Amino acid sequence: MRVELQHVSKSFRHNGQTVEVLHDINLTVAPGEFVCLLGPTGCGKSTIVNLVAGLETPNAGTILVDGRPIAGPGPRRVVVFQDAALFPWLTVLGNVEFGLRMARVPKTERHTAAMAYIKLVHLSKFAHAYPHQLSGGMRQRAAIARALVMQPDILLMDEPFGALDAQTRAVLQEELLEIWRRTGCSILFVTHNIREATGLADRVYVISSRPGRIRHVEPISTPRPRHAENPSLVECQRKILGVLEEEIEKVMRDELGESIHIAHDQAGPNRLREMHS
Amino acid sequence: MRELLRRSTFLKPLQALALLYGLWQLTAWCVPAWPSAHDVFRVLGADLRDPGFQHALLGSARRMAIGYTLVMAIGIGGGMLLGRLPLIDQVLGSVAVALHAIPGAAWVPLSIIWFGMTEQAVIFTILLGAAGIVMVSTDTGIREVPPLITRAARTMGAFGLRYFWFVVVPAAIPKIVDGLRLAWAFGWRALMAGELLTSVSGLGQLLNQVAKAQQLDQLLAIMLLIAAVGIGVDALIFKRLEHAVRVRWGLAS
Ligand SMILES: Nc1ncnc2c1ncn2[C@@H]1O[C@H](COP(=O)(O)OP(=O)(O)OP(=O)(O)O)[C@@H](O)[C@H]1O
Ligand SMILES: [Mg+2]
Repeated sequence: MRVELQHVSKSFRHNGQTVEVLHDINLTVAPGEFVCLLGPTGCGKSTIVNLVAGLETPNAGTILVDGRPIAGPGPRRVVVFQDAALFPWLTVLGNVEFGLRMARVPKTERHTAAMAYIKLVHLSKFAHAYPHQLSGGMRQRAAIARALVMQPDILLMDEPFGALDAQTRAVLQEELLEIWRRTGCSILFVTHNIREATGLADRVYVISSRPGRIRHVEPISTPRPRHAENPSLVECQRKILGVLEEEIEKVMRDELGESIHIAHDQAGPNRLREMHS
Repeated sequence: MRELLRRSTFLKPLQALALLYGLWQLTAWCVPAWPSAHDVFRVLGADLRDPGFQHALLGSARRMAIGYTLVMAIGIGGGMLLGRLPLIDQVLGSVAVALHAIPGAAWVPLSIIWFGMTEQAVIFTILLGAAGIVMVSTDTGIREVPPLITRAARTMGAFGLRYFWFVVVPAAIPKIVDGLRLAWAFGWRALMAGELLTSVSGLGQLLNQVAKAQQLDQLLAIMLLIAAVGIGVDALIFKRLEHAVRVRWGLAS
């Protein structure tokens, strides 16, 4: 599935004021491509995901799916939301089966498929647990299984591994790449972690904030499996870091006010190191 | 230690009850013609073994069961319909709010005009006294599905009737259960009012009889039973149900 955003802008009304959140976004996810969106908090990454999912409509510009404008949400473009958004009244199994049930897949078939994806995210022991009995990371994994089982044409993932520990995150990144290779679906993946972006993506879009614009596009051709120390990756990371450095400084100036002078060698690098880890 | 804590939470209400019992006994010594707790409990014990009393109690229970079943069916069904049809909701929604502002007892005269001094009149009183709150809370639950739940459902292809049945209704269950719990309390009051004013055999009508005969100990015994059933059903069924639902829906821990 090819997804194209052409000159997309999005504003929200906030306290009677119109705030432009995204400005003139041009972005393409080719069929089978793995694209990452990288940017500081509040820059509009989730908004882009919602637009592509069809949950929001742009104020200007068009969003095309295989050449046609999108008409609302649908199961070909499944979202893994930033905060899991599991149905609390269903067990993990019930949640993972949900989309298949909506598609009228017969009971035994959907049960088998759901259990396979639950196993994939290492939740087999918790298949019959309810969301309130799971940890944040387990909920996130259940949400990933719930999306994957739909075998969508494009998977929209909004910081899916943000709440996980480094080890689980690494395992799931590998699993995700494996699933992506096997299914050939496209992936639009939001993160604010440079290593994650460069480790996964074919292409990284760096987004600036207020309003969100695409500041930089970094193609990554390093063959997989990738090692973080690979010189070409490190070079990519360095370039992206350079762009982000300016951005973060801008955000901090906006948030803290002009009066506060940001010590370039203290606050900046600390924030960056955090993003880099 | 844990055992001790568990026992203390169990003991606390018992201690409170024992204290109340003691206070009651004291007032009985001070106030002439005021029956003591001991007397009232003895009378209640005798009542419960009396076939006539048992008949009245069963009558009340039957009417409550029928009435409450109707309340659930009409309240939940009507509330869902209102939640689904915004246009009708504007008109009938305010009617439902108005209905549930009228206390159950105030429906008795109308019920008697329509149904006479019959069992049906009592059941109708329960229905009118309690269905409104279930309807209003179901309606609210249906219309206030958390946006994130809706978004997740939409991206997984849930639309139309399937969306309503598999997403909206379960999302509304905490609100519906809140309504059902209140409806029990309202319905129980409406039952008593209905039985007091019609002469259908039941706890309410027994109250009437013993009041006319000036049997204060009997009167207190029956009132005690009415309170005990009201509280007991609420604590044993509705409070537990509400808590279980709130925990599962992530609204309480
Ligand atoms: N429904 C809305 N109404 C008003 N403002 C909104 C709405 N949704 C998002 N915004 C604003 O749009 C901006 C971008 O939000 P968005 O959630 O897309 O950011 P993000 O890049 O995903 O941030 P994070 O990394 O923290 O998740 C924010 O400033 C937010 O306040
Ligand atoms: Mg976000």
